[in-house]
Parts: sequence; structure tokens; C-alpha cells
Amino acid sequence: MSPASVVISFSGNAALRVASRLADREAGWRLVHHLARFIDAARVPGIDGVVPTYDAALIEIDPVEVSLEQVRDYVAHLIDGLDADRPLTETPRCFDIPVLYDLDGELDLQVVADAQGLSVADVVRLHSESTYVVRCLGAPGGSPMLDGPPFPFPVPRLTSPRPHVPQGMVSVAGRQATITPAPAPGGWPLIGRTPLTVLDLDAEPFVPYEPGDLIRFRPIDADEYESLRGTRMVAR
Amino acid sequence: MIAGALAVSEAGFAQVTDLGRRRGPRFGVPVNGALDQRSARIANILVGNAEEAPLLEITALDVEFVPDVDILIAVTGAACHLTVDGVERPSRQPVSVRAGETIALRHVHGGLRAYLAVRGSFDVPLLLGSCAPDSVLGFGARLGNGASIPLRRATVPIVNDHFGAELYRFGVPQLSADRIVDVTDGPDAEDFGETADRLFDEPYLVGPASNHIGLRMTGSLPDRRVQGEVLSRGVPVGAVEVPPGDELLVLHRGRGVTAGYPVLAVVTSTSLDVLAQVRPGERVCFRKTTVAAASARARADRSELDSLRLRVQSAFTALDALSTTTTGRNLQ
Repeated sequence: MSPASVVISFSGNAALRVASRLADREAGWRLVHHLARFIDAARVPGIDGVVPTYDAALIEIDPVEVSLEQVRDYVAHLIDGLDADRPLTETPRCFDIPVLYDLDGELDLQVVADAQGLSVADVVRLHSESTYVVRCLGAPGGSPMLDGPPFPFPVPRLTSPRPHVPQGMVSVAGRQATITPAPAPGGWPLIGRTPLTVLDLDAEPFVPYEPGDLIRFRPIDADEYESLRGTRMVAR
Repeated sequence: MIAGALAVSEAGFAQVTDLGRRRGPRFGVPVNGALDQRSARIANILVGNAEEAPLLEITALDVEFVPDVDILIAVTGAACHLTVDGVERPSRQPVSVRAGETIALRHVHGGLRAYLAVRGSFDVPLLLGSCAPDSVLGFGARLGNGASIPLRRATVPIVNDHFGAELYRFGVPQLSADRIVDVTDGPDAEDFGETADRLFDEPYLVGPASNHIGLRMTGSLPDRRVQGEVLSRGVPVGAVEVPPGDELLVLHRGRGVTAGYPVLAVVTSTSLDVLAQVRPGERVCFRKTTVAAASARARADRSELDSLRLRVQSAFTALDALSTTTTGRNLQ
């Protein structure tokens, strides 16, 4: 791609932000992830790591080992050789996530349905009929960040965030969706929970999925929830 | 290899950490690690460890430890009162401790965090190459009373047999007491228009909800002039953000890796060490600098540490030779 397809800005003296300028958001997403993977595999001295998200990548450096200018020029050179049309993963893995949807009104499913002018059953159907691409890994704890289900409107965030969201919660906000792999505070409306354990701290990497993999949600009942509780999340 | 253990008799608010999980952010987890990186590096250098070796980060409260083998320690960071079996010992110098003696670190002042390194370091579990605790993942933890930390190595006392004093003094600069925090323009500074410069108007008061994730401050708040939802993006450690509410948020090493707030400014890598030592209730001043000046400062700081490491290495090498010929002992 032409180096003009990104904007590179310094983000302090130990990081750079590379943001896509491509009109095609899918291509922009692929571009920043291809960049991250290339740099990660190249193990460049002085570059600590890359955090690719939707349309940007944050490159963290040790300013004693390399200069921001050197890394900026290196990135511009790499962008020149990357093909944003190439798929991120040749054969994406697919993860089936059983979900006990919040039909008892314990969480926020009803609130989400009301805001969309939909029934609870419609929200469950829209959420569980889609196939989601893992766009990036985010906070907390390597959450799989997904594009949201095809709801009519963006989902408003909670007016007051929960101080403690347990692991396994399935949530939506704006035009995004995710699963909470680790307990943390959170302002996203919760629509269900999965009995699966997402993270395995004894494995490396400890998150089972990577950007480009696919996720599907499958409604289950309380009995199945209990029988699956604690099962590891693995690809189909 | 395990050579002994350090028993924790008073845990205070301490944890075993290191320079952080540099591979973490790629997997969506923060880098974490010692908040005052320079002090942590110096502690390890003073006992001849690799700079990234696991060491103790001691926040504010008194702590007490007892090793079951002879060890060599060094304490750096915030000023504190260090005693070994009740005898006052210097900070920012290697200090020998015999098996069964009590190491007490009390009255942390002039800062918030002290660091204690042991020659040979600790044998602790790693995640992605780092022992740094991650409270979100539930990896690692604060020390508890009665805990025992495995030691990788014993070190016979390095003292003058006749006077009981250590045989060296390394000139290690003390922490600066001023609370000036250098920042460069953030990638989204434009979103704040002319209000961005309010950051430099007057000091900010550090609030009680500040921690390793970030510091919350009150003062003259810049206004975001561009509205609309921002896509989640990677945010650097040191990012200065203005979330809804009446506080400025300055992210530190425990920060969530992605966020959807615009980044107004970014604290320089060396000033993050200053923030690590600021207590709630103190005031800090932001000062604008350039990326070039900040990077030059980072390089100058590190070369100072490189020269300290060389001095420590030559002293240890000389002592090794000395003790082998005079007493038959050596540092191993």
C-alpha cells in the first residue's frame, strides 16, 4: 500500500499511532493487523510491541534503543510492501459460544430490547444468528472485540457503569459486542453469560482466539449452562 | 534453583514485580510492572542483577522480611528508614543481611514506592515472560503476612571483618522532590482546540482514587471540542485523557490497553517515574516538552545507569578476588 494510506503520529516519546486513511474500513483493519503481525514476527530490537485495533495500531518502543523517527520511517517502508486486500487469516478458526441469555431480567437484555424497539426474543435472535469476526483484543484481559449484531440503533452504554462485571458476561455497546474474559468494571449492557472459561493462564498465548477468527453465539438453557460450566473455550 | 526463602512477617502493601509484561499489550493486557522503572532498575543494578529481574515493590506501608540464608539487598525509590536487626542501614547501597536477621523498611516518605532487590532475585511464576501481577487476570498477588518468597541465591556477607561496614559506596542520585511532569502533545491534542493549554495553567491536585492504572487529578480541565464516538484504539502508558466528569485521568502502567477517549497529551517515559512517587493529596505541574528533548533525557538517564552498572561490576569483581585470597570466600 502507499505510505499515504496511513497517518503516523507520535504518541508521547515511547509510542507511535499508525491510523488507516483507507475509505474501506475492512481494508484499513486488515492493513493495521498485517502491520502488527509483520513487526511482531520480525522481533525488531527497540520495538516492545504493537497493539492493533479497528483502524489503528499503537507501536510501543524503548526510546533509548531506537528513535521514533527511525520507527516512523521503518513503518512507512513496511506499509509500502503490505497488501491490505490479503485476508488476515487464510483459514479462520471458529468458536461456538453457548450463551444463557438473560430471560429472567437479571441483567440488561430487556433494557437493550426496549431501546431498540424490539422484543427480547428478537434481540436474542439477531445476536445469535450473526457470525462475528474478532476485530482485535481489548481491555480487560484480551476481550474479543466484535462488530455488534445488526440492531436498528447503536446500543447506549449504561449511565452508571458496574463496578464489577464477572467473567463470562456477554455484552453489547454502540455497534460493538464482546465477551468479558476477566472480571473488571464495565459500562456495557449485559445480555447473557457463557459458562465457558475463556482464558487459560497456563497456555501461551492465554487467549484462545486471535484477530480474524470467527465467533458464533448459541442460546442454551440453564441446565446446559450448568453442565458446561468451566469448560475451556476452544475452536470448533 | 532455590537457595532459600524470604519470609514475609509484615506484608504492608508489597508485591513481587519486574519491569513489566512488554508482550502483554498485544494480547490486550497492560504492561504493568514497577511504576518507578528507574528506581527498580537501580535496585537490581546495585545487587548485580539483570535490570529486569523480579524484585519487591513496596507501596507506602511498613514491611518486614526475614531471609533463611545470607543475602545481599538494595533498597531504592522513595526515602525510607531501613534497618537490619534494628541497626540502621543505608538506602541506595548494597546491604548484606545474614540468615535470620530482620529486614525492616519503615516510614516511606518523600515518595510513595520503594524497591527492594535481592542478589540472585526470586524464583516466581511468569506470564508472557513477566512476573508482574495483573489484578484483572488474577495473576500474581500482593504479598500476605506469612508468605514466603523463594530465593534463587545466597550471598555471603560482604563486610569488613573488623568493622562490620560494607566495603563500598556507590554514588546513586536521590529522587528529585519536585513534582514536575513533562508531557508532549498527544495525537488528539487538536480535538481540544485552544483549551488544550489549560493543562499548563496551574497545578493539579492528585485524588485518592489514583493507583497503578492511572492518576485522577482535579484542576483546570481542557474541553473536548470534537464530539462523536471514538473507535477503541491502543492508548500509550502516560496518556492524559479527559473522561466525562470533573477529573483529568493520567494513565500509568496498569492501564487498559484500549480505550475510546482522545489523547490530549502523553507523559514522557522519564516523568512516569515522577508520577509513580506522587501521593494522593499532592499537587503536580505539567510542563510541555518535545519528543526530541524527552528522548534525549531518556537516553541520558539510561547511560547514567549503564555507568553505575559498570562501577558495581568492578567493585564486585574486585571483592570477589579479594575475598577469595584473604578469607577463601567469594560472592557466589
